Amino acid sequence: MRQPLKLHTSVALSALGVAVFLLAWEALARSGVVPSGLLPSPSAVPAAFVAEVRAGTWQTMVLASLSHYLSGLFLGTVLGIAFGTAAAMWGVWDAAQAWVVRMLRPIPSIAWIPFAIIWFGVSEAAATFLIALTVFWINYYATYAAVRGVDKDLIELGYAFGQGGLVPRLFKIVLPGALPGILSGVRAGLGQGWMTVVAAELFGIAGLGSRMSDASGLLATHIVVLYMVTIAALYGVCDFLFMQVQQRVLAWQK
Amino acid sequence: MEKSVIDLKGVSIGYGPDAPPVLVEVDLSVERGSFVAIVGPSGVGKSTLLRVVAGLHKARGGTVTIHETNKPGHRPVSLVFQDARLLPWRRVAKNVRFGLEGLPIGTAERDERVAAALRLVRLDDYGRRWPYELSGGQRQRVGIARALAVDPDILLMDEPFGALDAITRHSLQDELRRIHRETGKTILFVTHDLEEAVHLADRIIVLGGSPARIVRDVRNDPGRDGGVFREQVEQLRSGIADNYSI
Repeated sequence: MRQPLKLHTSVALSALGVAVFLLAWEALARSGVVPSGLLPSPSAVPAAFVAEVRAGTWQTMVLASLSHYLSGLFLGTVLGIAFGTAAAMWGVWDAAQAWVVRMLRPIPSIAWIPFAIIWFGVSEAAATFLIALTVFWINYYATYAAVRGVDKDLIELGYAFGQGGLVPRLFKIVLPGALPGILSGVRAGLGQGWMTVVAAELFGIAGLGSRMSDASGLLATHIVVLYMVTIAALYGVCDFLFMQVQQRVLAWQK
Repeated sequence: MEKSVIDLKGVSIGYGPDAPPVLVEVDLSVERGSFVAIVGPSGVGKSTLLRVVAGLHKARGGTVTIHETNKPGHRPVSLVFQDARLLPWRRVAKNVRFGLEGLPIGTAERDERVAAALRLVRLDDYGRRWPYELSGGQRQRVGIARALAVDPDILLMDEPFGALDAITRHSLQDELRRIHRETGKTILFVTHDLEEAVHLADRIIVLGGSPARIVRDVRNDPGRDGGVFREQVEQLRSGIADNYSI
């Protein structure tokens, strides 16, 4: 069993790790071993950031991607939780949809790109659809497992105290009891959603993905790295904010 | 008002349509305000009998009648479980409020009944605590408060002190006797602990045999100690042993 680190030690080691990584990267880029077009130096990224912000491109792309991300995330999360809950609570519905789920689940979201274009055109709706699809499955399975895992004794408690009807059972026992598992799914969806944003925008919808695609076509790899860092930062902020909310919502856990 | 509050006539209980019955020919009439203990060996069907009275398990045969007082804003039957069974995402006061939700009472009365129930179990200042912040005994008190808050005609208790240490158990037994005195509720109390039954109940029902049935129905004077107490416990013990094979 490893010994837990003190907080300041842990933070210092994390900062050291990042510094070593960036220095090694910078050294490799400057050494000339790899052509600069193939591997930009990290020191080129801040200048690229300033140029993109001054041109207004960075803000436009971030806002566009956030729009796709948030709408896809919302749709996929709500539908995933709803369908996961329904499948976990009703055996007939679970049996009826089990093989449909098995057939559809292994198909990656990017395989749906042709249909997204056919159904929605090269539009924001197409990107939203693809992001929602990715997020849906994560939330579906997390919710299904969480709802099935709710303590049956608590369900019985509901019946014993007149809360056995569908609505009170669902909202007073099942969903609160499943909440830790559901929120784990939502959190996983936050990360997977950003991954799909890039894939969804690569086929021409304006956003971080399309900007990266354009920049890579011009071998402006420092721009590509800038947007990679942007995605990482946006995910970091989303995850951090979500963790704050999660900690408050689950304050009842030890 | 009916003298009896629970009437069981020819009740038989099983766990599945094809499984043999575990409990048969149960005829039992429980007087209003009485404290009845149900004792017997493990697996004899004590808890299941309680769940049948609570309406959580359907009897295979016979009739179960609860003579409700039909007071508005109350539930005829409420249950205290062995494991307290608090909802971990609700603070103590909200756990006590659980059974009141859905009853036709106003917010002010609801809050007053929660406060009164917490006072009754001496947890007045614990309303804002989370269940994980409570000891086992305190959790069980909250379970009792939740059951009392709905002002039931009948309080069903399924080995409520079985998982507690001896000191806490004895303390809560005395609390329960006080609560019974103060509220006058009818209590049906399942236990495998004969001393607990003799200490608490004014009537003791002994289940035994296979399939089980009522083998003894004993009037008791609770709260006694010394020789009379021991004698009563020994009589019950032999009553169970006569009808029990390992």
